[in-house]
Amino acid sequence: MEIFKIIGVGLLTCVLSIIIKQIKPEFNIIILLCGGIIILFMVLDQLKNVFDYFLTIFSKTNMDYSLFVSVLKVLGVGYLTEFANSICVDSGSASIGEKILIAGKIIIFCLALPIVTNLIDLIIEMLP
Amino acid sequence: MDYSIIFKIAGIGILTAVVSQILKNIGKDEIATIATLVGVVVVLLLAMNMINELFETIKQLFLIY
Repeated sequence: MEIFKIIGVGLLTCVLSIIIKQIKPEFNIIILLCGGIIILFMVLDQLKNVFDYFLTIFSKTNMDYSLFVSVLKVLGVGYLTEFANSICVDSGSASIGEKILIAGKIIIFCLALPIVTNLIDLIIEMLP
Repeated sequence: MDYSIIFKIAGIGILTAVVSQILKNIGKDEIATIATLVGVVVVLLLAMNMINELFETIKQLFLIY
């Protein structure tokens, strides 16, 4: 199962980051970053199958393709900002992480605007 | 995804610590600081490759252009 490898790599990164914290504190955050990226890569290809499955379902409805693309974009932006925020909090500067979170929320809000307008048009059509 | 890169970074970290310690004992302090800088730069380059690869896959996967 994939989960055992992920847990192994995660614990390995934690142990190594503790060791390196004594010897050379600057490299601690880089090891945490690379460990996170490696764990992410292990599950990223399964995400691809999930998105293809959603695409087939979405193509059955007659809505246009750009909605699905913006939903994916919102997902990507959300995940990346969370990733950056956790790295910043790990390295001790939580304020930078907060700034990244606020910026990510604003970007997601701008990305989600077409979806909201589409929803409102649908509702108006349904009204008598 | 190979997880050997974590060991590489840890190894470079330990190596720079040892090298700078030795250089300090010999008495060449300025070379010791340069050695630490070189170690940090090498590790940053490794991390840069990882981050670049992450962003490329995220771009393809989430259709962010």
